[in-house]
Amino acid sequence: METQPLTIHSWPQAILHVDADAFFASCEQAIHPELRGKPVITGKERGIVAAASYEAKARGIKRGMRLFEVRQVCPDAVILPSDYETYSIFSRRMFEIVRRFTPDVEEYSIDEAFADLTGLRRTYHGPYRVIAEKIQQQVEQELGFTVSIGLSLTKVLAKIGSKHNKPHGLTVISGRDIHLYLEDLPVEKVWGIGANTSAFLNKQGIRTALHFAKKDAGFIKSHLSKPYQEIWHELNGRSVYPVVTEAKDSYQSISKAKTFTPPSADETFIFAQLSKNLENACIKARRYMLGATRLIVFLRRQDFGSAGVEIKLSLPSAFPVSLMEPLREGFRRVFRADTLYRQTGVVLAGLMPCNRIQYGLFDDTAKIEKLTRIYEVIDSLSSKYGKHTVQLGSSLPTKLQAQHDGDRGDIPARKYETFRGENKRQRLGLPMLHIKV
Amino acid sequence: MKTKDKGHILTTRINGLSSFYHREGRMPSFSEMEGIFRLRSKSAVHKVVSKLEAGGVIRKDGRGRLIPVSLKFPFRVLGTVEAGFPSPAEEELADSISLDDMLITNREATFLLKVSGDSMTEAGIMPGDMVIVDKGQTPKNGDVVIAEVDGAWTMKFLKKRGESVILIPANPKYKPIRPKKELRIAGVVTAVVRKYR
Repeated sequence: METQPLTIHSWPQAILHVDADAFFASCEQAIHPELRGKPVITGKERGIVAAASYEAKARGIKRGMRLFEVRQVCPDAVILPSDYETYSIFSRRMFEIVRRFTPDVEEYSIDEAFADLTGLRRTYHGPYRVIAEKIQQQVEQELGFTVSIGLSLTKVLAKIGSKHNKPHGLTVISGRDIHLYLEDLPVEKVWGIGANTSAFLNKQGIRTALHFAKKDAGFIKSHLSKPYQEIWHELNGRSVYPVVTEAKDSYQSISKAKTFTPPSADETFIFAQLSKNLENACIKARRYMLGATRLIVFLRRQDFGSAGVEIKLSLPSAFPVSLMEPLREGFRRVFRADTLYRQTGVVLAGLMPCNRIQYGLFDDTAKIEKLTRIYEVIDSLSSKYGKHTVQLGSSLPTKLQAQHDGDRGDIPARKYETFRGENKRQRLGLPMLHIKV
Repeated sequence: MKTKDKGHILTTRINGLSSFYHREGRMPSFSEMEGIFRLRSKSAVHKVVSKLEAGGVIRKDGRGRLIPVSLKFPFRVLGTVEAGFPSPAEEELADSISLDDMLITNREATFLLKVSGDSMTEAGIMPGDMVIVDKGQTPKNGDVVIAEVDGAWTMKFLKKRGESVILIPANPKYKPIRPKKELRIAGVVTAVVRKYR
């Protein structure tokens, strides 16, 4: 029974999952070639490991570890500040390389993409594996880092493939072979199956992904909700999740957070950080023409514990001025005096398109109209002179303390090693190789 | 006014499209283009769009949405001026190429590098210069390359003599390098950019 294939169709469709290996750290190794083969860590400005190269992982370094621990475990680790500008260029380039082969590319996250290769064998005169190999090889040559690829019939299976052999792996799971890869895979390792569901499945005697895939439709239908039924189909090689090629043009929520070192207990400064978080989140919301119906305010203490509160807004909005009262209310509820905080954050949730907002009979529409016009002007000033050209007074005290005092090493090199004509705000959209020649 | 220069109208329209694109970060819809092109119907807009598409200014994606091709602040190459003004005939769309297009062949494989050493000064590459490095191209004899030789990084001319490879500096202060163990070429230098002010 166990050796019987789940499907006899080898390639009804071909879905590829590309996952960059230790992405942030790999980007750093690509622009600093002398760091290849060395343990590299990013996240210096945050005080914790944001990403670790495979060399660093081999030395026992994990994501989220604090930097002083890193220095104990691995004294020769190279610790760098995050350079998101470079990482996002590399991310875009990786997607562009995949797009050379197929237009159907879903940018799933900064370092992962799905692509639909179905029907492209003829174009590339070879099996799907060859296309995957070419993608892998071109990324490595042109970008200077490796990716792991999974190729299978569905997104869930492709994702199992890319995880199967990391780093620099290429795992092809054809229809006839699906069962071989699911046999030893614990069910909780399947994309989309969380701790609760896997605990439930374990109670039903289902421990491996193959077990789960082989359950009959009746059982699945009566015991599990739709998302898990879909995963079940996907594991059986029946594609349910399409590769969504649309660029992200809507958001469920928008969050903006900022870490500062050293931590601060200064009420004015911390509130100013929140106020700036709110302004940043609102800028993004307005860019996508969304309004928030809920506001979440959170503070993270020096000991990494955090406190947050969610506030329901009476009227959807993306204007910091009208969200100031709820923000203050949230701050009052979570802030404790004499406590050191290291991060503030704001989440705009329950987003809805601005043009679909229903105003009530007693809402001051004239005022809303006025605010809309004011923020149109503010946004156009920002696009001309830079973000925060017009800023709330409450955000100004952020300048009381440099975001990260301490050495210059907390700022990525790309920000201060600029070319003539570049400035603090605007630089060429090309990554810089840091090689002394 | 019937004899108004057609090329001029088209240029104005492209400029309108370009400034919309750079202001809004997206291409306008057909109804917005009515305003930009000063036209009263969508079918007239459609005609202009087809013309621009044929001229390679824009293209359409699979769903018919417009994508800019050469709206990226092009500098207009107007032809050589021999006497008087260039003829309007030369002011064709196809003549327009942006500095980006000229300097960058394969964007995904292009990197910048700030030169710090003086080993290539006689080839006109000075300390502080920006060089554009293409990692996607196969290095050819005579190319300036960024290479790792026996563990050290360098920028030199690549000379292939039969089976052997030599890296040659453009400064008498330095000697040619013959790789002993390992040579890894990180990319080919395709341009030098020096901005004076």
